[in-house]
Amino acid sequence: MADKEKRRSGAAPPGMPDGKATKSDCDKEFLSQAGVGELLRGAILKMVEARSDDPIGFLADHFCNLASVTEPGTAGCGDADQMNNGPQSAQEQQHLNRALWHLRLAHHSQRSAFSNNVCVAYDLLNSTGPRRRAADVPECPEGSCNDSQTEVGGGVRGGLYTQTLQCLCSEGGVPASTSAPLLRRLHCQDHEAVPYDVFRHGVLTCAVFSDYIRQAQRLYAEVCCPDEGPASRALGMAVLGTLREALETSQGSEANCCVNANTTSNSCLEANVKAKRYLEASAKISPYKLGQAMATAQTRGPGGDMDAKEFENAAAELFITRVKVLS
Amino acid sequence: MNRFSSAVPDNEYLADSNVLFYLSDAVSQLLEHKEEYTHVGVIRYFAEYFSSVKNSNHVLFREYSYVTATPHNRASFIRVFWRCYRHIGKSGALLSMLEYRSLLQLLCPDFPLKPVQSAARIVLMDDAVDYLMSFSDFLFAFQLQFYYKEFLDSVLEIYQDLLAGKNPNTVIVPTSTEQLPLVAAEESDREQQQDGVEPSTLAQCVEAFCDRFKHSHPPRSCMRGVLEQTNRISYHSFLLSLAKHEAINQAIGALPNKSEFLIDPEMDQELDKLIAQISVSPGSNSSGSAVGGLKEMLQRKASPRRNIHHRRRIEGESDGSTEETDSSEN
Repeated sequence: MADKEKRRSGAAPPGMPDGKATKSDCDKEFLSQAGVGELLRGAILKMVEARSDDPIGFLADHFCNLASVTEPGTAGCGDADQMNNGPQSAQEQQHLNRALWHLRLAHHSQRSAFSNNVCVAYDLLNSTGPRRRAADVPECPEGSCNDSQTEVGGGVRGGLYTQTLQCLCSEGGVPASTSAPLLRRLHCQDHEAVPYDVFRHGVLTCAVFSDYIRQAQRLYAEVCCPDEGPASRALGMAVLGTLREALETSQGSEANCCVNANTTSNSCLEANVKAKRYLEASAKISPYKLGQAMATAQTRGPGGDMDAKEFENAAAELFITRVKVLS
Repeated sequence: MNRFSSAVPDNEYLADSNVLFYLSDAVSQLLEHKEEYTHVGVIRYFAEYFSSVKNSNHVLFREYSYVTATPHNRASFIRVFWRCYRHIGKSGALLSMLEYRSLLQLLCPDFPLKPVQSAARIVLMDDAVDYLMSFSDFLFAFQLQFYYKEFLDSVLEIYQDLLAGKNPNTVIVPTSTEQLPLVAAEESDREQQQDGVEPSTLAQCVEAFCDRFKHSHPPRSCMRGVLEQTNRISYHSFLLSLAKHEAINQAIGALPNKSEFLIDPEMDQELDKLIAQISVSPGSNSSGSAVGGLKEMLQRKASPRRNIHHRRRIEGESDGSTEETDSSEN
């Protein structure tokens, strides 16, 4: 912290009066009293963690968000999402917005950052829910959940959880009609208290699903030529078939993995098997294989066209059938 | 989300983004105006600081060294300049170099003469003080000169070396292909110095220079395109072509394209409102209130944190100085 302070005073513009020991002491005191060092350190850490492409915009949002938390009554900087899904307290809405903001911070491929953010979001949503008995307090697998807050809520309310997932999907650019079947699988009853690992699973699935759908949309754009109208059904089916085959291969590894989940001794071997499966799967969806499939499809496949929506739905179905139904 | 570049170390990520520069400026501004911000709250102050950086309002009324410190600041300043004085272009008024400088000084009190002179030279091919320029000519020349200052200065050196018969690249990049331009440069030297240099020679030198230049430079393809068009090019005509190049304007990203840059219904409405206010307000002669109105408009565009501090300074300055007296400085 101290060297950071030094760097700042060293980088002060030349117009500033310098050399006055009393003034710099007074400045230091002011900064430490106002907690500026802590504030900036937290901001830089968050920023480095998220690796946003627009760091300035990120900091602006970050400080706006912090300011809206510390000053109750003001709602961010005016760009907070407004989603009115039934009667809801303003506080709950605010918590939902902040939780979503946290979830947006890091991409899910940055596992540790994403897990931290999921945890923060869970705590936020948890603290808004009605007070419950402390008996069904869920265990946090990461061990990083804030204890004091988990005691308050006892679990995120199912309604809030569903709303979070809906928002994640729609923000990810997935149309409601496409995400609806997935959300049905992840659904919890409105009155249920959702434990942390279910929450995390739901959020992660929605994040991956949004990515997947975006890729599928891009894939369709590649397959179809924009001037020639929709892509031919034959090509679409070929692409989807290749995709399914690859997914089946990679899923085999997960089933395999679940069987051996408790035996830690051969975890190395297991990881090897898993890696091999993934390699196999990616080989199955390599440009070469795909090209081959498309070439054969072009000569002898079903006739007719396939529009973007149909392709998206079919691709989504491939994904959704692999998501476990929550009981 | 820049998730694929996580291999870049944290300190490089921070250095690339200029974020530390803005953080240190935010802290020194905070210290300079402590009293004003203690009741607003430090977090709210930082939120407003970075929002204004994001919205490009942060350069208004700041010192020249700050305005030129980062590419984002330069682009923001060009944008602010355009937004504040667009109506001049609309009215079709022609102004002299010193008048443009006065306008710039309303936005940045210590704006020096030299960059304005260089921009005017692109338009006028001359150092004449009292020649008049249209707003759009000046704006696009100013944009090029202001945004790529360091690059253009270096290109001028290269150009002068070429004129003098030296090839600057033969010393620094000794490859076999560089022998050719050297011969070409000598030939051009024999012919005539005043008419500029062989475009292909300049193109090669500029390409090689871009490779080792750390700051921002215009897109290479644009420069190549400009240099391919003629068979003889001078430094001045090179700059003039770059200033008019639409792709460079887009690369800087501060201004809309040339056909649209005077259109702004929102600003028109605001101006109409201002004019209505001025004609209603009693006891003010027309010229005085026009300046006041302009100032008011600038204040409204400014980020909130600079207002109080600068209002006094700006008024003090612009009241005393007419546009002609500026030539006494520098």
